[in-house]
Parts: sequence; C-alpha cells; structure tokens
Amino acid sequence: MTNAPNAITAENLRIGYGRNTIVADLDLTLPGGQVTAIVGPNACGKSTLLRGLARLIAPETGTVAIDGDDVHRMSARALARRLGLLPQQPVAPEGISVEALVRLGRYPHQRALRPWSAADSAAVETALERTGTTALRDLPVDHLSGGQRQRAWIALALAQDTPLLLLDEPTTFLDLRHQIDVLDLVSELNATADRTVVMVLHDLGQAARYADHLVVMRDGAPAAFGAPADVLTSELVEDVFGVPCRVVADPETGTPLVVPRASARHRRP
Amino acid sequence: MTETSREPRGSDSATAESNSRSPSGRDGLRADATAGERSRSATGREQLDTEPAAASGNRHRVVSGGRLGAIARQRRRAALLALAGAALLAAAMLTGICLGENTLSPGRALNALFLGTGDRADVLLVGRFRTPRVLSAVIAGAGLAVAGAVLQRVARNPLASPDVVGITGGASLGATAAVALGLAAPLTPLAALGGGLCAATILGLLALQIDGSRAAPRLKGGISPIRLVLVGLAVQAGLTAAVNLFIVRFPAELASSALHWTTGSLYGRNWNEAIVGASATAVALIAVFALHRRAAVLDLGDDAAGALGVQPGLARLQLLAVAVVLASLAVALTGPVGFVALAVPHLVRRLAGPPTAGTLALNALAGALLLLTADLVAQHALPFDGLPVGVVTATLGAPCLLALLARQNRPDPRTAR
Repeated sequence: MTNAPNAITAENLRIGYGRNTIVADLDLTLPGGQVTAIVGPNACGKSTLLRGLARLIAPETGTVAIDGDDVHRMSARALARRLGLLPQQPVAPEGISVEALVRLGRYPHQRALRPWSAADSAAVETALERTGTTALRDLPVDHLSGGQRQRAWIALALAQDTPLLLLDEPTTFLDLRHQIDVLDLVSELNATADRTVVMVLHDLGQAARYADHLVVMRDGAPAAFGAPADVLTSELVEDVFGVPCRVVADPETGTPLVVPRASARHRRP
Repeated sequence: MTETSREPRGSDSATAESNSRSPSGRDGLRADATAGERSRSATGREQLDTEPAAASGNRHRVVSGGRLGAIARQRRRAALLALAGAALLAAAMLTGICLGENTLSPGRALNALFLGTGDRADVLLVGRFRTPRVLSAVIAGAGLAVAGAVLQRVARNPLASPDVVGITGGASLGATAAVALGLAAPLTPLAALGGGLCAATILGLLALQIDGSRAAPRLKGGISPIRLVLVGLAVQAGLTAAVNLFIVRFPAELASSALHWTTGSLYGRNWNEAIVGASATAVALIAVFALHRRAAVLDLGDDAAGALGVQPGLARLQLLAVAVVLASLAVALTGPVGFVALAVPHLVRRLAGPPTAGTLALNALAGALLLLTADLVAQHALPFDGLPVGVVTATLGAPCLLALLARQNRPDPRTAR
C-alpha cells in the first residue's frame, strides 16, 4: 500500500512546545493516493502532528519524509509545491477578494521576474470551478458565509496544485450541508484529481465514511490505524474517548458508525 | 466527469447563500448575474480546458457587460489615484521651488534649476536651497509612509509605526547626543541614522522569541507581531526619556537646537544629504517591492504562509529590516516628523483598498505629498516662522484620518457597488 506515490512517513517523531511534549516518538506511514482521516480526543496532538508533517513546527527528534525525501532537507518552496495545508480556522486579510486570495496559492510556483504565468491563471480558474466559487470571485472573503469561506480557502490550497493536501478540521463550524459539501469535494479531489488527502476530523462516522485510512490518536501517539472497518471498534472508542458505545454499520455505506450508549434516563423504553 | 455532476449544485448554493445574506438584495442580484456568466462559461468549458492560454489572457478580466473583476477594478483605481497623486506631487514640488521671500515664476525657477540661466541669485536660491529641501521632503515622506505601511502589516497592528516602536526615538537620541557632544552640524543626520538603526537592533533582539527552556537556546519563530509592538512601546518610552534628559541638562542654546531637531524640520538640507538620502531610499523601496509578494502571503497567517513556502519569522525580519532602514533614513533627513507613517497607510487603504504592490506605490506618493505640502504650509501659509513641519503634518493629517475613519461605519464603496 505504500508503493503509491505521495506517502508520508514519520519516524521517531517528537514534537513539542518548550518543555511540553505533544507528539512523542511517533512512527507512522500515511498511504499515498488515499484519503486519511486523523481522529482523536481534544488536545491529543492531531493538529500538532499535521503541522509537524507540513514542517510548520520543527520536530525535536525524528524525520518526516514524502516518498523517502526528508522534508527538512527541501527548500520551503520545493516543499510547498508538493504539500499544501489548510490551517484550522484561517483568517483572510481584511477586504481581500476571493480571487485575490486564491491567487496567493500560486506563490510557490512564481518566479521573481515572471510573477504571473498562463499556468497560474489556469490553476486559479480550475480551483475556483472545482470548489464552486467562480461566482464569488469578486466578493470580499470577509463578506462570505462560513461554508463559502471554507470553499474559498480550499480553492487556495487547490491553486497551489500539490499532490498532497493536508486539511486541519475542514468541517468545524460548518452546518451539516456544508460539512458534506466539503467532504464530497475532498473525496472527489482524491478520486478524479489524484490528490492524496490527510485531514483531521471530529466526527467518527464521517471519518469512517470518507477515509480509506484512519488514524486514531491518543496522547500524542497513534492508538490504532488502518482501514476504518478494522480500526473502529467499540472497545477502541471506549478506550480512547472514554465513551461506552455500540458500533453499527452505517445504513448508507456499511462503514462503521459509532453510537454512544445512552444513560438510563434517555434509553428506549 | 464527476466534476460536472457537482457543478450546478455548487453554483445554486452559492447564489442561494448570497441571496439570503444580502439585506438589500443588491448583492444577491449581483451574485445572480455572476452565476449566470458562470453557467455560460461552463458551456464554453472545453475551450477553457483545452486552451489554458485563453484563460490566462484574462489577467485584467473583463466579464460580459464590460464590468471589471474585483482585481482589475482595484488596479484601475490605484492607477488613477497614482496619476492624480503624481500630478499633485509635481505641482507641489514646483510650488516648493518657486515660493519664498523672493517668489519666482515657474518658468524662471525651472530655467534656473535645469539650465542654470537667469539671475545668479535665482540659481543660488533654487539650486542651492529650495530644491534640496523639496527633494528631502519627498524622500522622507515617501520613506516614512512606506515604512509605516510595512510595519503595520508586519505587526498586524494598525497603530504600529516608526514613532511607536522606537525607531524615531533612537534617531532622536542619536541626533541629540551629536548636538550635545558638539559634533559638526553635518554629522547630525548620520548620528540620527545610527541611532535609529541601533534602536531597531535592540528592538529586534528583545522581540525575538528565544526558546530558553532547553540547554541550548534557539530561535523559535523569529519575531512575533504582538511582542514587536509591546517591546517597541517600551523601547520608545525609554529613548524619549533619554532625549528629554539630555535636553533638560543642556545649556539653553544647545537645548533649543536639539529640541528643534527632535520635532522635525527640513530647514537647511543640502544636496549631499538629499542625494545620499534619495539613493539609499530608492534601494530600500526596491527591496520593499521585491518583498511584496512574500508580505501578501504572510498576511494569511503564519501557518498558511508556511504551507505556501514562506518562512514567517524570516520574512518578518526582512520586512522589518527594510522598514527600519527607510524610517531611519527619513528621520535622518527631517528629524522625527510624526503622523506621516501612521496616517498615510490608513488613508491609502481607505482610498485604494487592501494592500497590493500598487497601493505600496500610492503610499510613497501620498507620504511625499503630505510631507511636502505640510512643509509648504509651515513655511509660507502661517503667520509665524520656524514652525516645525511635524506639527503641520499632524494638523493636516489628523482631520483627514478622522474623516475617513468616520466613514468606516457606512458600507464600503468598494464592495457596495
């Protein structure tokens, strides 16, 4: 499974802020060409791991490699042409239009003396179309609704045109409809545009439905990883999240669906 | 194509959202119109797919109906403002070399300046005294405004300016010390430049985040925006106190000379200073433009910038260094003229929209215009002599800024249209 291109391998990775170690001695391979979801309780190091994989934080020890190339030996620009990241809750500069925002995604492809090329324009147009934001291109980002804004940011990451895309909680603060829109878009990008996607999600059911590969984190280390159907068991969820539950088959997809056990008061009579 | 099956839903939801969001319905209409264009462009899609070059031709995108896209509209607006600004600046510069106790006609002044013809007194007056002063005002105004724009952007704080973060304080202290030590007058600007750069270095070192928790301290992420402003405030306060101490302890006549310098003045600038200042400022301005795209990416926040290949700490340090050089040069020429660096970026933003390379150039023009106009007013329009130009920049700039800020509550004309 690791033979497909764009696999990320972390070896012996330790990341922390000062004395506070967040991710400890982690060894993990995220398969290329697939959608990986990272789940886990709050403050278990999901976002830190993602930031470490994207080289936004220097690890204290260990390495991160894409197809065997150490990311810390690449130039910042070279890495930005292979891997894009949508941060959690990004804030757009005041007054910037959607198109101007998406154009910034072309930064790693631009040259000092040739700031804007035909390929740049084409990538921006494709990114706007794929995310359905073409009609919004002239509107200021700060006038958009949450769902539209998230699509504009995803368009920026698409314009960057990287085979690898990391998304940090792309569905947080979106209503159900927009969550599904974003996840469908991700899955379509993986299927038709051959992007390898790694995303942090909160909803276990959505993670199981949309991901090919699932990583469950606990206290800065993976508690389990693999195909969602193999990983998501009621024992694991109770163990990691501390929530007694049943795992049933999703009536739509057959993927695991986590149903927390009800307290006596709410139980079906 | 799976993409196509998704397409209509995307555009419908976009239109529906815009409609529901728009109180007046105007935005909704507008989104409808653009959605219409979009479905039209979807039919001509093969063209777009097979000919990426055709798509790239719309750099200044003109959509159907002759309406410009937001980016092209902002560019046009900036270009028009730049033309107007350049014309006003040229007029102000001409006024500057004509007006005086001995007022010359524009023709006479220009002849004297460029051809050296006419009265010898004219040549001396225009060539030796008025032109260096006008040039110094233009250079310092441009440098201050661009330095302010860069600092506000790097610090992500609308109040950041060389006056606030200690750079002008350092320059004042350098100049005051030079006066106190009895250095020759031509050395005062150099001392100011040195003081500004020293203050900026101290500021930079104090604002750097050092991770001290490990055995070997290391740089954590360069300079953080909030630390920069807070440390800057402290540095400026300390330096101002030192300047005041010097002035209080001076003999009266030295104190008056130092005080005059520390309020900002263009009196007695010569060609050497103007030319050195102009060349150095030009180099620094080129550097700002070269760094502009990096600054735009940095505006997205550190994580997003990092993911696009910009190292935030390093980029901030580079931008900060250029801003410091610009501000120090300006202060060396004119003394710490207040308000230009703070107000001009806000004025330009209100007039021309979010920062682009074009608005950066507008900052330079507007700063030059404000400082030069203020100097002309201080010299000629007021009944008393020797009013420092800094007093006038504040008096002219403050009402403009307040008026523009008062408009902020109304719908933004750039987006309501």
